Amino acid sequence: MRILLAEDDELLGSGLRAGLAQHGFQVDWVRDGVAAERELATGAYQAAVLDLGLPRQDGMDVLQHARARRIATPVLVLTARDAVPARIAGLDAGADDYLVKPVDLHELAARLRALVRRAHGQSETRLTAGNVVLDPAAHQVLREGQPVELSNREYDLLHALLLNAGRVLSREQLEQRLYQWGSEINSNAVEVHIYHLRRKLGSALIETVRGVGYRITRDTA
Amino acid sequence: MNTPPRAPRSLQTRLLLAVLTLGLVAWASAAVLAWHEAQDEVGDLLDAHLAQTAALLRLQPLDELDEDKLNEAPELDKHQPRVVFQLWHEGQLLARSANAPQEPLTERRKRGFADSVAAGKAWRVFVTQGREKDVLILVGERQSVRDEIVLASLTSMLKPMAWVLPLLALGIWWAVRGSVRPLRRLGQAVAARQPQSLEPLSTAGVPPEVLPLVTALNGLFERTAHLLASEQQFTADAAHELRTPIAGIRMQAQVAQGATQHAERAQALAATVQGCDRATRLVEQLLQLARLDAETASTGAPQTDLAEIARAVAADLQPTAAARGQRVELDLPGPAALPLAEPLARVLLRNLLDNALRYSPEGARVRLQVTPATPGNAAALCVEDSGPGLEPAEIARLGERFFRVLGTGQSGSGLGWSIVQRIARLHGLQVQIDRSPTLGGLRVRIGG
Repeated sequence: MRILLAEDDELLGSGLRAGLAQHGFQVDWVRDGVAAERELATGAYQAAVLDLGLPRQDGMDVLQHARARRIATPVLVLTARDAVPARIAGLDAGADDYLVKPVDLHELAARLRALVRRAHGQSETRLTAGNVVLDPAAHQVLREGQPVELSNREYDLLHALLLNAGRVLSREQLEQRLYQWGSEINSNAVEVHIYHLRRKLGSALIETVRGVGYRITRDTA
Repeated sequence: MNTPPRAPRSLQTRLLLAVLTLGLVAWASAAVLAWHEAQDEVGDLLDAHLAQTAALLRLQPLDELDEDKLNEAPELDKHQPRVVFQLWHEGQLLARSANAPQEPLTERRKRGFADSVAAGKAWRVFVTQGREKDVLILVGERQSVRDEIVLASLTSMLKPMAWVLPLLALGIWWAVRGSVRPLRRLGQAVAARQPQSLEPLSTAGVPPEVLPLVTALNGLFERTAHLLASEQQFTADAAHELRTPIAGIRMQAQVAQGATQHAERAQALAATVQGCDRATRLVEQLLQLARLDAETASTGAPQTDLAEIARAVAADLQPTAAARGQRVELDLPGPAALPLAEPLARVLLRNLLDNALRYSPEGARVRLQVTPATPGNAAALCVEDSGPGLEPAEIARLGERFFRVLGTGQSGSGLGWSIVQRIARLHGLQVQIDRSPTLGGLRVRIGG
């Protein structure tokens, strides 16, 4: 899952990036409000972690501008302001969740997973398609109840398709979701990962919509 | 042995005592005056009475004045029996009233009044000649009787006043009590206050004598409220400012916990330690600032040689500078005294130099110059660097608590400047910030 992190503090920012990476997130880190707004506008992120006290442009403004432009990316606000009015203002400005510093890494990761899940209209914590189950909290995939070893990329790809079950995702959309800045992307990377997923999980799971992209059929069971 | 200080009397008691004492003294003086006046008046009256009696005796033929008749004389008033008379002829007592002594009432022979002593008693006597020139008429009255009369008239006059006196005291007590009521009410209003309540006292209905007190109190409340608000703001800011390094430390520690690679864990632990150092520095600065805030403007601070302290501070920070390839140049031509207490001078210089090093790039030059006083010029110190310097807008915001120039990649707290400016202000020193003409970065000059 690709996450935008907007935090101006070096120590906290590097910690968040490393910690969230440990939890399987691809993290892009910006250090000021202008960059945060610009990156948020790309829509490439499943969620954003936004510090409010950002240089150049306040986090609250970033949030309001993004919402005004109908950018629906779930935003978790991270701030040192813990007064209740500040929290209310943050949530009213369009934040989906609010955490006061210092935060627990595991809690942050769990909240981000929940935000992403809710943003895709999912109420189940585990995503299911046919005989395949993906458990975001455990970062685990089961086929007929048996754990399946997936690479991080394969896992992210499956996660993205399951979250958007029933919808077709183009190759570009998938690439955007999988790779943080500076990663080298081979032109056929997505096809390679799909190939591996089909090999590990059965060929019927992921459907190729010719000329458009890929889809996992919504589980009707 | 210490005797406890006597509690001052209340205003009410003081006023009451003063007014009552004065009233009593006035009353007593009036009584004494009245006594003298009454003595004079009553004396004249009684004297006239004596003279009149003498005149009546003179009209009386001598032979009719036998003792029986005298005893039958009608009593004209209750005092009359005290009036006595004697008729003398050539040293012989011709006649006398029954209550008169045998001896002469007075030795006076001429017509007129006399005060005398006869038969062991004090008398007031009127002397006159009879119809026959050689007969002497003495009409007397006991002094004690006269005094009794005076006293009786005085008593009848003063008795109602004695009754009025307690009523007067009560009235005064009531009036005084009413007059000090605004003071008492003010005291109660202040005493009943919650410690946090600092809104002004109402000045409605406050008499002009008490108004300055209420105004002064309100001024005090206002200043205290202001101080309290700024303290609360500072605490909130400080807490806010401490959250970020603590959040960083926590996050790095959790990264270290979850790390699977040795390099990743080592990096996270190093960052954790760095975060702790930063938090420590922030706490130290907060404490310095809090101490400065508590300090009142120092009067007569001792003169401290800045050159010596500059050398010590530069030596302290040398390792920090060397680690980033920075060079600290000292320009200390001689002793330079400024009115600063030694510990504060050290804090001031350390913050200035630390800021210059912190916000200058690697390999930068930082110059610390202390100029001794010359005739007409006070001593001054100057710190300049070859860093990026500051825009005028940023210079204007320097010294706001926790203001930090952004995008420097430095983990400063934004408190160093607050401390420098606070120390300078406390000691009446001028702080000038501009661009260094020689090094190109920031230049800070502090002088008397």
